[in-house]
Amino acid sequence: MKTVAFAALLGCGLASAAHAEKTLTISVYAFAQDEYKQALYDPFEEICDCTLVVETGNSVERMAKIEANAAQPVIDMAVLSTQDALSLADKGLIAPLDPADLSSYDKLYPAAQDPIGNHMAVGYTFYASSIVYRTDLVDIDSWGDLLGQDVAGRVALPNITGTQGPLTLMMLDKAAGGTGTDLSDTISTIGEHADDVVTFYSRSSELVQLMNQQEVIAAPVGRFAWSRFKDSHLPLAWADLAEGQAGGMNVMVMTKDNGHEDLALQFMDYWLSTEVQTRIAQAMIDSPANKEVTVSDAVAENLTYGADVINALNIMPARSVIDNREAWVEQWNTQVIR
Amino acid sequence: MLALPAAVFACLLFLVPVMILLSEAFRMDGSWSLQGYVDFFAKPLNRTVFLRTLKLGVLVAGTAAIIGYAAAFCIVNLPARTRGGVFGLVVLPLMISPVARTYAWIVILGRTGIVNNAIVGLGLSDTPVRLLFTETAVFLGLLQLFLPLMIISLVSAMENIPRDAIPAARVLGASWVQVFFRIILPLTKEGLVVGGTLVFTGALTAYITPAILGGSKVLMLETLLYQRVNVANDFVSASVIAMILIVMSFSANLVLKRLASART
Repeated sequence: MKTVAFAALLGCGLASAAHAEKTLTISVYAFAQDEYKQALYDPFEEICDCTLVVETGNSVERMAKIEANAAQPVIDMAVLSTQDALSLADKGLIAPLDPADLSSYDKLYPAAQDPIGNHMAVGYTFYASSIVYRTDLVDIDSWGDLLGQDVAGRVALPNITGTQGPLTLMMLDKAAGGTGTDLSDTISTIGEHADDVVTFYSRSSELVQLMNQQEVIAAPVGRFAWSRFKDSHLPLAWADLAEGQAGGMNVMVMTKDNGHEDLALQFMDYWLSTEVQTRIAQAMIDSPANKEVTVSDAVAENLTYGADVINALNIMPARSVIDNREAWVEQWNTQVIR
Repeated sequence: MLALPAAVFACLLFLVPVMILLSEAFRMDGSWSLQGYVDFFAKPLNRTVFLRTLKLGVLVAGTAAIIGYAAAFCIVNLPARTRGGVFGLVVLPLMISPVARTYAWIVILGRTGIVNNAIVGLGLSDTPVRLLFTETAVFLGLLQLFLPLMIISLVSAMENIPRDAIPAARVLGASWVQVFFRIILPLTKEGLVVGGTLVFTGALTAYITPAILGGSKVLMLETLLYQRVNVANDFVSASVIAMILIVMSFSANLVLKRLASART
């Protein structure tokens, strides 16, 4: 009897050990996790016969965890902005990805294939950024209109510490005739207009209420947030701007020496597949980086979708953000926030 | 008998983590240093935020004390039947989430809110005045948030004033100003110290209200701390700010106690 019980116990132990070997820990943004579970995590677990451990949080927390556990990684794969991915690459914390291991690699838009160089990351979603404005009160044709008299006292700008901040500065610099690389003059100009700005927001969700209350009539917004504005009772429009739309991309990276490289690559490949990217796009969670994805016009309206749109995006080089962010924030704190 | 487990519990779960966190404020590049404080106060923005936090903390605590004394005096002089109901109304806001209470101010102070409607309606201004994302908005939000704590402290202190003391002083010819400074204030100083410390400390350490009503245009130490941790991953600056907030809170309590004892 004792032998049978011992054997059963041993069997359970071996089974759980085998199951434990097939565990993949991913680090993702906290956004839309229920939808992601349905569209990506659950179907992948069925295919891989593995357990997916999902860790969420903001970028700073998640990057700190990867860095703190560099010797024995607890995260196998992460999704980040291009600049955060490049920052991890500079510290030697992520491993290069071999395009041959990703069957969907050739289906990606060129900008998503090697966004930070040396194949250290691969893009999985794009986002455009433009200005949402009140059509009954102002005309917005250029990024420069954000600092014009028509919207003075009723405009909101993104804080420089968020993702939208540097993108807006880049486009304001281009509107003023610059190249969008040296932002110091633009920061000084914003400092001169600081009293005309209602607030420097950190999240686009803050803007929805401010626009509905008519406190703000124009502000830069990411396309991923457009659906929250377009159903407003107020006449709000997505501006078609002379300088075009700003854009950004989120990428996937794999931590170095995590021991689950094959499973991580299998998961990344699955996420980039036409099947999953279509499912995620149709659920309007993220815009696709896979150029084979097709969606209806109604869905496309809420996404950054199509070769024409994606190839025309003004994307800020990640290296530029990393090299200059500290100086920008310092100048911003001195001249704008004061 | 129960003191030892309680002390061990408090040390392990409160004191030790706080000390570990705060020790970060005295370390730089692996050695003990005050450089974190020097660096913090060297930046003009940090000095502005520090002074603004101190100013708003003092203003909120001072205004809460003035309104609190008036409200507490009215409450303790109400008939016993109605006193409980009115006191319940004072306590009621404490049962509502600070987030909900703060968002209500966005509606009240907005361009189309009741304050701006009144300003334009009364002809005080042709166009709505910007009230949101100003120090005034943060001040009002913090005052509304913490005023009940001051009133509760002062009501319980005033209930201990002998019932005949004030009428006797009035009969003997004391003015209301003399009654306040020579009877009410000395006999309620403990309540003022408790209420003042709670309100001042609450105003210093509140995050939601300054974040929503002030945003990045009216940074306070608590919102700056959040930025240093969540945006810059800068735990040294965050620990320095936490240490400054603790010192400010204890200093406020000491100053209030000293002022209270100086009057007796």
